[in-house]
Amino acid sequence: MSDSENMTLTLRVWRQSDCESRGKFVDYEVNNVSPHMSFLEMLDVLNEQLIVQGEEPVAFDHDCREGICGSCGVMINGQAHGPDNETTTCQLHMRRFKNGDKVVVEPWRAQAFPIVKDLVVDRTAFDRIMQAGGYVSIKTGQAPDGNSLPIPRQDQESAMDAAVCIGCGACVAACKNASAMLFTSAKVSHLAQLPQGDPERSQRVVNMVAQMDAEQFGGCSNTYECEAACPAGVSVEHIARLNREYVKASFCSTAEATIQAAE
Amino acid sequence: MSWLTGFLKSSVGRKFVMAITGLFLCFFLVIHLSGNLLLYIPGGQVYVDYAEKLHSNEEFLILAEIFLFAAFALHIVLAFSTTKDNLNARKKSYRVVESKRKDRAWPIAFAPDYMMMITGLIGFAFLVVHIADFKLEWMWTDALAGKSSAQKVGIILGDSVRSVIYLAGSLALGYHVSHGLQSACQTIGFNHPKYNRGLKIISIAFGIIVAIGFSSFPIIAQLVPGMLDFPDIVDVEVSRH
Repeated sequence: MSDSENMTLTLRVWRQSDCESRGKFVDYEVNNVSPHMSFLEMLDVLNEQLIVQGEEPVAFDHDCREGICGSCGVMINGQAHGPDNETTTCQLHMRRFKNGDKVVVEPWRAQAFPIVKDLVVDRTAFDRIMQAGGYVSIKTGQAPDGNSLPIPRQDQESAMDAAVCIGCGACVAACKNASAMLFTSAKVSHLAQLPQGDPERSQRVVNMVAQMDAEQFGGCSNTYECEAACPAGVSVEHIARLNREYVKASFCSTAEATIQAAE
Repeated sequence: MSWLTGFLKSSVGRKFVMAITGLFLCFFLVIHLSGNLLLYIPGGQVYVDYAEKLHSNEEFLILAEIFLFAAFALHIVLAFSTTKDNLNARKKSYRVVESKRKDRAWPIAFAPDYMMMITGLIGFAFLVVHIADFKLEWMWTDALAGKSSAQKVGIILGDSVRSVIYLAGSLALGYHVSHGLQSACQTIGFNHPKYNRGLKIISIAFGIIVAIGFSSFPIIAQLVPGMLDFPDIVDVEVSRH
């Protein structure tokens, strides 16, 4: 590949030294950006430039860089994980941009996701929602023999479609209300459709919704921006299932939240 | 009853009540528009008979009004409550916002789902004016004295300020329900690949029908005033006094 194919981009990056400081946008010119690079590799190039110049590199979350861990995620020109559907930031390639483009890079913005530094946000609110009920506490024993636990194929498929959530937070970032309904519903829907999750389904949904509210995520306005932004392709049909589960649990079971919902 | 307060305090519970009241109000819009369209039957007598029949059953009317008021009040109060929470959930907004939905026809700032609060507020203001005009007849006491229900429509909507308010209110209401109907179905848990596309089409069509249907009255009153002028009509209620 010749250097002539490489691009020069102007990045407008959110810089914030810690959660207490105000933060601001800073413009950087990044040279020699190969179209074959991922977006994170482009940020690596920017950081190398900054280190050479004696400046503080841009902090951003990343881990596997294979699109499966859910660590990375930034708003790129107003879109969570950038312009491609079902793609994480680490899997977004610079060929989606043109030489001379101006790219605005912001962190996920939500009260429940306070900024730690630059583009890094604290997503432990998701962990606390999971701790509120995103598990099964029954003893499942050893791995069962195949077909010893019959599950209809459509239920298994739907449960797995929900289980693919990687917890990246793009749904919250893309939602105008910073709602965590897609994330929460993915786990509720995943476990409610499987026999292992069935015994605790009422308590689970009541607790997870209470924790979600306590974390100060917004409500769902059904704009479906979360579904479009989700790199794992989790569908809003799981939000509808959460709604059904929640109403059923509230009116037809004895489950009550053991977590205090936010006033 | 702590479970019920817990339900009504939760974001999902509040949206559920908003959805149920919203669907009830959509049903009311269908009945209201169907009744109003009777004004287009020449002579106006059919509309007057319908209005007379509706008002003759006082018990039903009181009960219906209580339900309607409760539905409106709950829907509006919960809209403010959820909007407050939603605004608090993101205090610092993004520099740039771009949708990733491929089916967005126009910028999200003007999309019906992003304008629910604004269209709802316009609809609410319109509702207040509408009740003041037709139910309480504030500012119209002299002009409407001795007039039939059909004639009142022509007189009130003949006023240019009122026609603008009614036009704006009707359009806002149509825009509101075009998202509201499908959103309410999702919120009560109705989501099925067999019906989702149909529901979306029905919801948009319903919004268009509401917008055109209700806005047609102020437009006609201004452009073709003769159509809503019923000089020969006799209201049973009026003639009785």
